[in-house]
Amino acid sequence: MKPVYPLAAIVGQDTFKQALLLAAVNPGVGGLLVRGEKGTAKSTMVRALAGLLPPMEVVEGCVNNCSPEADEARCPECSRRYPQLQTTTRAVPLVDLPLNATEDRVSGGIDFPRTLREGRVMVSPGLLARAHRGLLYIDEVNLLDDHIVDLILDAAASGENRIEREGISYRHPSRCILVGTMNPEEGELRPQLLDRFGLCLEVAGSDDPESRVELMVRREDFDQDPCRFAAQFQAEGERLAEQIIQGRKRLPRVRISKALRGFIGELCREKNVAGHRADLVMEQAARALAALAGKNEVSVEHITQVAPLVLLHRMRDAEPPPPPPPPEPPQAEDENDSEQEEQEEHQEEQQQPEENPESMEAPPPQQSGEEEQAQESPQPEEQSQEEKGDEGTSPTGRDEQVFEIGTTFRVKSLTAAKDRVVRRGSGRRSRSRISQKQGRYVKSTLQDTGDFALDATLRAAAPYQQQRKRAGDQQLAVQLRPQDIRSKVREKRIGNFLLFVVDASGSMGARGRMAASKGAVMSLLLDAYQKRDKVSMITFRRNEATVNLPPTTSVDMAGRLLSEMPVGGRTPLSAGLAKSHEQVRNYLIKNPTAQPIVLFITDGKCNVALGERKPVEESLHLAQALSRDQRIRSIVVDTEEAGLVTFGLAQRLAGAMEAQYFKIDDLKAEALVNIVRGQQQ
Amino acid sequence: MKNRPIYPFTAIVGQEKMKLALMLNVVNPGLSGVLIRGEKGTAKSTAVRALADILPEISVFADDPYQLDPVEELESYHAICKLIAGTRREILPEVVTRKVRVVELPVGATEDRVVGTLDLEHALKAGEKRIEPGILAQAHRNILYVDEVNLLDDHVVDVLLDSAAMGVNTIEREGVSFSHPARFTLVGTMNPEEGELRPQLLDRFGLCVNIEGIQTAEERVAIMERRAAFDLDPEGFAQRWREESRALADQLLTARSLYPKVEIQRELLFEIATTCLEVGVDGHRGDIIMLKTAKTLAALDGRDTVTSTDISTSAELVLPHRVRRQPLMEIADNVQALRERALSGK
Repeated sequence: MKPVYPLAAIVGQDTFKQALLLAAVNPGVGGLLVRGEKGTAKSTMVRALAGLLPPMEVVEGCVNNCSPEADEARCPECSRRYPQLQTTTRAVPLVDLPLNATEDRVSGGIDFPRTLREGRVMVSPGLLARAHRGLLYIDEVNLLDDHIVDLILDAAASGENRIEREGISYRHPSRCILVGTMNPEEGELRPQLLDRFGLCLEVAGSDDPESRVELMVRREDFDQDPCRFAAQFQAEGERLAEQIIQGRKRLPRVRISKALRGFIGELCREKNVAGHRADLVMEQAARALAALAGKNEVSVEHITQVAPLVLLHRMRDAEPPPPPPPPEPPQAEDENDSEQEEQEEHQEEQQQPEENPESMEAPPPQQSGEEEQAQESPQPEEQSQEEKGDEGTSPTGRDEQVFEIGTTFRVKSLTAAKDRVVRRGSGRRSRSRISQKQGRYVKSTLQDTGDFALDATLRAAAPYQQQRKRAGDQQLAVQLRPQDIRSKVREKRIGNFLLFVVDASGSMGARGRMAASKGAVMSLLLDAYQKRDKVSMITFRRNEATVNLPPTTSVDMAGRLLSEMPVGGRTPLSAGLAKSHEQVRNYLIKNPTAQPIVLFITDGKCNVALGERKPVEESLHLAQALSRDQRIRSIVVDTEEAGLVTFGLAQRLAGAMEAQYFKIDDLKAEALVNIVRGQQQ
Repeated sequence: MKNRPIYPFTAIVGQEKMKLALMLNVVNPGLSGVLIRGEKGTAKSTAVRALADILPEISVFADDPYQLDPVEELESYHAICKLIAGTRREILPEVVTRKVRVVELPVGATEDRVVGTLDLEHALKAGEKRIEPGILAQAHRNILYVDEVNLLDDHVVDVLLDSAAMGVNTIEREGVSFSHPARFTLVGTMNPEEGELRPQLLDRFGLCVNIEGIQTAEERVAIMERRAAFDLDPEGFAQRWREESRALADQLLTARSLYPKVEIQRELLFEIATTCLEVGVDGHRGDIIMLKTAKTLAALDGRDTVTSTDISTSAELVLPHRVRRQPLMEIADNVQALRERALSGK
């Protein structure tokens, strides 16, 4: 067997190493989450740690790693045999939870062959059983399916895994050190799961050429001759292993004074953490650190050393976990960001956490007569055809401008309605029945989908067993016939098709509104990236609407287009509506089961019609037509500035379309919190 | 079907960078793959399939679907046999040698075909588990070729990432819990117009080349002529190139044995580290791969010391897809330009 890269040979990453040791010494700290870039030895270190842990005593033959100690919880099998238990030692398990694991493999499910042979439901233990008293390692934990996350959370919270599915009722103890790694670019973790990890740290590559060189050399040495390399660091590894054993022995004797408990409480309160887990974890971590250092008493230094690990993912400024960083931060925004971080650290609670989009630096509003008109009169039908022609001839006229992308934020969840249609696909937006062998098993069906459901099949076959036994001559305990076969119906989240219809007319350019709108679209795009949606983009300005981006999974392209998108000219909203309908209809012909979501980003002020009617009237009429297709979900994002005079045209548009209506600020995930806060003050 | 020869690697006109990247991976599988980005009709697939011609040989047990190494992975072999048959195999099957293969992963592949699955029919009839190995098992110690890798289903990508990272494929589904080694050289092609890859997957490819159609008339004519000649008489065409193919295969073999002896000076190591720092790559994988690439380049050239040129060549292959920092940023095509920008910014 190829040896793993030794922990002692890792260059740098001292905090990470220490955090792993803390978790190893004291399981009470409750796991470790590592956030960071690719290629920073995250997985390597976790694997190396498992090799260092001392072997543990287990009941012989128990798949669940039950402890022979009298006062420990045991699985049903061991409880039955207790106290006649044989003891054996086993290496501490490191269990990998692959992202594609199904529910029955994580928590345990039916053992097909044994069930068929013995004629009663037999449980085959899942990963949670195997990881009991060991390490459960989840690489890219933020990509894990929600229902799997729930299972793990539940087991971690109760210390017990309960299976109540597919005709099984079974429970066994399950306590493990949860180690997760994630790359924040790919989406954030749910707050509940985040809190479940006791410690959290950020890792980054080293900036020091010296250590980078050392790292390269070591890695290359290892790859050329792993055994020799491992041998070089064996002594160091044994020292670490010894440290862990000593620390574990010492841990129960480590005391903490009342004053220091008060200090911990104060630290947590100051950082405005939710609940009390932070306090408890910090105490456990400080005790582990003291034990590692060979002290019997926790000191202030121990606490201040572990505090960042405990607080990093828990401190909040009345704000959910940090949003993914903006992709291309312009200068002005950088400053805002750092200010914001400082605010977080100083905990000025009265400060509004989100910048008002308008308040940020933006290019000066443009001054074209055309645009003012658009603002002053919502129905400028008196505009003559000639004027339109004029604009058409000056493609790079001074009424055209490209705005920076404004501040991005976390978008609240937008999903399509749930139905019974079976789809294929991946992603993380809307729940849907799914034709792949993925996702949650919700019920069984007679239709043969190739996804065999043993529990339902057995139930279907059960009444006929006596009769078939007489006729049949199989050696199996259960007699199955083709008509008994049932298949699983599964459900999971998949991506949707998002069509962005962006108003790029002159009226959008006023007072930095376009920057804010672009920020909103960019935020939606980032969200679409994380949820693996297909996107398409239509913009409308001057006299026509154009499809800038045909449906694609390349959210990157959409982002690039957005940053280059010029603004200026009049507002052919009707054309935009017509084009979007055409686009969605085409998409639905190709993908009949798709659930498109159309997002209109506009202020609703239109002044170019397709036909003879007044522009506003025409657009509302078209909007109504659009609402007739039940498969399409529409959302209107109103970019009109709140002020003394508002026209509320976008709202009327949304009404006609039976669409959901949002102001830009309403899209933010924390908007609800802010609304409540605003009322309190 | 089997007899039709493939277009010889050596007969491909131009596209030197792509050919170099592929050759480097043949010499040193530790480079963890190539991503070929380019337009349609630029001999991407032809080149990968043609690789089969010049690949070295490996030894395997006869009829082992997991293609384990008879010496180094004997333990895994026993473990798998025990799991499948329930007993340890005392008499080992015959060891045979065969060429490294190019295993294709079709874009429409379902997850269970990729990772392997339980043979349900067998389970129902005989009441015992039988595992049908998937494409990842076939790909062990071979080249896994994914055409249009950016169009692959996301969950299949996740599975690929998992195995590529660990060198092990773990099946945890439908009552099956099973793992087998799966270390492969990942070769992907993509057309950037169809959408970019996720940074996570991008980072797993050791090298990346951007290719485009050849612009000189002469070479274009040469391509047409050779293709026509090949289509007319594949056998004869392959015959004519056989000598060159053999020479190249020999060169690759020599380079393989030379690689462990290649030395690198400490200053050059610093050059690698500073290049990566200046360009701004995530983590350390860039550094490690750059070192390996530079050493492999030297070995391919028949030298036992790395030169500064090797390092700048390897930078062009290793860094383009790593400078990308956020999901929505563009891939820098030209590392040199980026480096200059970084330098002038100081």
